[in-house]
Amino acid sequence: MSAASQSIVEISHVHKNFGALKALNNVSLSLNLGEKVVIIGPSGSGKSTLLRSINKLETVDAGTIIVDGQDINDPATDINKLRMELGMVFQSFNLFPHKTVLENLTLAPIKLKGLTKGEADAIALKLLEKVGIMDKAHVYPSRLSGGQQQRVAIARALAMSPKIMLFDEPTSALDPEMIGEVLDVMVTLAKEGMTMAVVTHEMGFAREVADRVVFMDHGAIIEEGTPEHFFQSPENDRTKLFLSQIL
Amino acid sequence: MKRLFKSIVIAAAMSALALSVVGCGKKEEKAAEPAANATAAAPKTIIFASDATYPPMQYTNDQKEIVGFEVDVIKAAGEKAGFKAEFKNVAWDGIFAGLSAGKYDAISSSVSITDERKATMDFSDPIMAIEQTLVVAKDEKATDLAGLKGKSVGAQIGTTSYLVLKDVKGFKAIKTYDEVGLAMEDLVKGSIQAVVADSPVAVEYTAHKYADKIKIAGVVKSDKVENIGIAVKKGNKDVLDLVNKGLAAIKADGTFDKIKAAHNMK
Amino acid sequence: MTESRKIDVGEGAAIPNRNDWGLFNAWVISIVGAITAIIYLLISRPDPYQRLLVYLGDGIVITFKVTIVSIICACGIGLITGLGRVSKNKAINLVASTYVEIIRGIPLLVQLFYIYYALGRFLNVPDLTAAIIAMSVCYGAYMGEVFRAGITAIDKGQTEAARSLGLNGRQTMFMVILPQAWRTILPPVGNEFIALLKDTSLVSILAVADLLRRGREFSSETFLYFETYTMVALVYLVITLILSKGVSIMEARLSHYVRR
Repeated sequence: MSAASQSIVEISHVHKNFGALKALNNVSLSLNLGEKVVIIGPSGSGKSTLLRSINKLETVDAGTIIVDGQDINDPATDINKLRMELGMVFQSFNLFPHKTVLENLTLAPIKLKGLTKGEADAIALKLLEKVGIMDKAHVYPSRLSGGQQQRVAIARALAMSPKIMLFDEPTSALDPEMIGEVLDVMVTLAKEGMTMAVVTHEMGFAREVADRVVFMDHGAIIEEGTPEHFFQSPENDRTKLFLSQIL
Repeated sequence: MKRLFKSIVIAAAMSALALSVVGCGKKEEKAAEPAANATAAAPKTIIFASDATYPPMQYTNDQKEIVGFEVDVIKAAGEKAGFKAEFKNVAWDGIFAGLSAGKYDAISSSVSITDERKATMDFSDPIMAIEQTLVVAKDEKATDLAGLKGKSVGAQIGTTSYLVLKDVKGFKAIKTYDEVGLAMEDLVKGSIQAVVADSPVAVEYTAHKYADKIKIAGVVKSDKVENIGIAVKKGNKDVLDLVNKGLAAIKADGTFDKIKAAHNMK
Repeated sequence: MTESRKIDVGEGAAIPNRNDWGLFNAWVISIVGAITAIIYLLISRPDPYQRLLVYLGDGIVITFKVTIVSIICACGIGLITGLGRVSKNKAINLVASTYVEIIRGIPLLVQLFYIYYALGRFLNVPDLTAAIIAMSVCYGAYMGEVFRAGITAIDKGQTEAARSLGLNGRQTMFMVILPQAWRTILPPVGNEFIALLKDTSLVSILAVADLLRRGREFSSETFLYFETYTMVALVYLVITLILSKGVSIMEARLSHYVRR
């Protein structure tokens, strides 16, 4: 477990409805600095919605979400500034197709952090080296494989030096042979001490990296605990059923 | 290449077909005409094209009928000469093209008789003489075209009024309008500073429609008398004779003068 | 990269396929045919054709002027309208939608009359200006719809990715969404350009001395209807074809990132 126990994300009694569907039903969850939380659950369980509400891509109907001491739903909060501390990686990569790999990484740092192109390029190239695709800096995303695109997407999020990284099913859209290369990058990141919230179906990753595993179903957190507890002696019947189906 | 050739052949075949259809249509019409004449104890109907935007000569009233001085003249002439006049509203621009295409028998639309026009169509005896008249805003000082140099002037497209303007150099712009009314409207708005129009029309607009805004500045002097008449397709003697017969009759018995008086024309 | 959704708005002319550089495509045949026909007419019957072309000259310039200025203004209005149509601000959205609804419901010819003759009673604008305003306002609404379609055709994930990096709504629109939307927008916008060019012939109704009006003046004076309108049609065709080629070249330029 990480040394720090200081809470950086504090989700309290959050509700979110999509029409008649209760996507989030009284969910509370906190995330400590340096902690890695993996959120699992069947599709439609609300886990992506929960993750996306942390950086306000979804606005919750009720409850509070405090990120780094700021209430994200408080009108006085500058959400754009807060988002700079929350890196996000999507299932479908969402790279900017009209920009080269390098430009994908430098756009936000130049525009938002006021870096010069030279400074931003230097940081970007270091990050590309870290995710192992420095040679692709000047190509357009359409020329990359899915795994490469996702690694660029991770590097793009890291280029803003966020305090927290949010991963929304980062490997679900990948061909099986490419999943490993993306997970490797994520494991490295975890080992460096990054605070991470990861929605995934990769149980191996959860076992290896997670400090805490959270199981969600029908918009609510059913069970949470350490990977050991979770995979060896789950308590709830629904958790058991889900794990038996997926493992 | 082959495909291109094929499409050319198809296109040629289709246009040939289209032409033959048009041809057939014409033949049928011609065949029908004498038959109609044969049964005709009824008076012959002559279709007159008329740009009914030209008060007081020809315009549409609120019953959507084409009325006006020249309309009354032709109707009266028809009664004397034994033809029934039917009027068809046709835009001025293209009215001559329609005549040569045979879309109607004659044009009754205050057509000035000019040598240029005589080259492509035949004219009846003159109905009356008109003068080209200069219309300006109430506060305009100029009384002739020379005094309007450097300004924008306008007239209806394809009229002798336009030709008058075209012969004078030094205007800022000469604008041509589809209808004389639009030219007057632009004059009232101040977009142009003068309009040249036939005298009856100039009187109509300055005396009635926009009496408080525009006035007649004067007459454009010319060494030739300008007459208006009925235009027919070159060589259409049947129609021309009927019209001339009628015109002569109403002028001889005073009907023409009565119509003039009814329309408050000098 | 999957091909983005095709959008199909408005009628104009076919934009030549940018990859078709063959000798026997419709565009080459049309332009070679039209120019050959013009040259043939000028040489075989100098009178009236040379006289006619000289007479049409300043009309061609006016038609160009109205087209170019209107295209620029209509693009500006269209962009603002399109952004208004996708705006989350209800008031802005309503204004933009109402504008589009009203303008699209009134024929361009009526708008021309309205701006020049009806509003002219209160606000006397010169004919050329009135023509350009009417064309811009009308095509601004059409282009607004094209822009809206182009913007909404961009995957929602692009906005989410940009916003999650910390870009605000405006930065996202101008740095991420619009640069991508150009590519989908350009073919239908090009279509609107060409439709606009053709519709400039309507401004002759305001007695603007454009190509068509000059042709009508010439023919109503000389009675050379066949000759006049043959030449007028050929000149319009040549201008339209050149414009459509320009659009297709621009299209090829803008799609560089997909092919590289």
